Amino acid sequence: MPKMPSMPSSRNRPSTSKLRRGDASGGTGLVTIILVIVSLIIFTVSVRENGNGFFSSTRSVVQTVVSPLRMAGAAITAPFTGMGNVMRNLTADEKTLSDLKAENERLSARNVELEEAEITARQLQELLDLKSSYDLQSTAARVIAGSTDSWTSSVTIDKGTASGIVVGMPVVNGKGAVGQVISSAATTATVRLLSDESSSVSAMIQSSRAQGMLRGSPDGTLYLSFIRTDNAVNAGDVVVTSGLGGVFPKGLPLGKVASVESVPGSTYYTIVVEPFTTVANLEEVLVITSLTEEQEATAEDIAAADAADLAAASGQRVGAQGEQGEGKDDSEGSNTNESSENEGQGSSDSSTNGSSSDNDSSSISGSSSSSVQTNGESKKLGNNESTGEVQEEQGYSSPHDTTGRAG
Amino acid sequence: MQVNDTHKSRRGTIVFAIGCLLLQVMLSPNIGMGNGHINFALVFVGVYALATGGKSAVVAGFVAGLLFDLLSTGPIGLMAGLLTLLGFGLGIEERNRFSDGFVSSLSTFGVASLVVTSVYHLAMYMLGSSAGIVDLLLLRILPTFALTYVAFLPFAYFQVRNTASGRAKHASGKSAGLRENHYDTRNL
Repeated sequence: MPKMPSMPSSRNRPSTSKLRRGDASGGTGLVTIILVIVSLIIFTVSVRENGNGFFSSTRSVVQTVVSPLRMAGAAITAPFTGMGNVMRNLTADEKTLSDLKAENERLSARNVELEEAEITARQLQELLDLKSSYDLQSTAARVIAGSTDSWTSSVTIDKGTASGIVVGMPVVNGKGAVGQVISSAATTATVRLLSDESSSVSAMIQSSRAQGMLRGSPDGTLYLSFIRTDNAVNAGDVVVTSGLGGVFPKGLPLGKVASVESVPGSTYYTIVVEPFTTVANLEEVLVITSLTEEQEATAEDIAAADAADLAAASGQRVGAQGEQGEGKDDSEGSNTNESSENEGQGSSDSSTNGSSSDNDSSSISGSSSSSVQTNGESKKLGNNESTGEVQEEQGYSSPHDTTGRAG
Repeated sequence: MQVNDTHKSRRGTIVFAIGCLLLQVMLSPNIGMGNGHINFALVFVGVYALATGGKSAVVAGFVAGLLFDLLSTGPIGLMAGLLTLLGFGLGIEERNRFSDGFVSSLSTFGVASLVVTSVYHLAMYMLGSSAGIVDLLLLRILPTFALTYVAFLPFAYFQVRNTASGRAKHASGKSAGLRENHYDTRNL
């Protein structure tokens, strides 16, 4: 401890000053009374100020002035405060330590639970955001299992027909479209993912609005087909649902263009799409139960798609005529018809989707929905088995409206 | 030979006052027991009044109490009035009461500080700053008194030793034929 300065003292005061001390005591008493009265006045005024007045302002100034000293004091005494904890820890008994270990384990487990809950809450919030932004009529479900075989890319959700889930309903999560219900039991349903080989969804490039078909493949890569080479497509462009077919709402994110390849002589690009959603991050999803008219493709969209396909068909027809040369006028009509059938997206869809009942569910849903979409503001989705029948009966006579654009 | 040590004593008083002020600002908020904290204003006025007394102790009590009030969150003027009375009460004899011995000064300050602390907290209680009388006693009055009393110990010990050494010097000076009253510390 540093040596303190000595305090003044009145020791050794001569006894001859007793009279003077008496006078001084009287003065001291008077000063005391005055200062006590002043204190009482200050006290009364400060209490009546109620935090807004001269003394309160003075206190604020003083507190501001000494705040650096307070901070310095806190910094200086911090190690001693820590030492106090160290001392308490050193003197802790065995029971305290075992209790703390148990508490630590409990809190660690609780922390993991809470972190998991936070992630779930975030995902659910994304779903809610998606639901509200697209005004979706939907049912939330949890993914409870992945694909049960090596042939399909699908997941199982914990909602089924008991919750109103039927075959053909589109499934989305917070990042965009996920797939489509292909089978539904009472309490579970199977969802075919976009990456499945037999999946196809009507899609378009968000920036250029060029419309095509997003297809899965055996290796899980997504390809965007039927985008004509006269459209501008660049890597990084976002691919969204076009709403054609009336299954998926228009504008749902699907993925972004990973690569664009233009084969010489080909009418269409070969576009690889990187999906926004993968099976790895699939936990909570929304099953869209119905769409409003605003969420479906407009007549202009359908007309644009038809025009693009007709243009493509006529382009190939001209090419075929050039190859066949003159003198083949008799066979021209039949060639045209064939090319038209093959060129219509119904041809590709029928080869992909019409081959099995599962394929029907992914592609033909568009046909059924398009056939009923104008009947009301909101239509119920699904029931693809009947749409399959419709497709077979219609025989792809109108490829864009009924077969080509599933979703 | 006349030795006038007024200037040195005044400087010592100022250093002591500033030291207590710094301790009140920097140390007191960070050292607590229950809800009690050291009242260095009380320590300063106690030491000064016991060592000097008189009018200056009263004024010192008022100023120190006012500073305490401004640095705290309680009503301004309450501690100022109490320390004014403390300065008057402890310094009424206007002599160095540390010369009575260490125990005597401790007991005097103990009683005085307990009274001041109790009155202060009771006043705060009546103003609605405390919920219950038991909490007031166990968590505020007693911890504050105990901490303040402990903080007073080293100052009192130093003053007692200083007084004793001064008395010895005085005795040796007296034997050498020096005059008395070579300290005049009044009216600092």
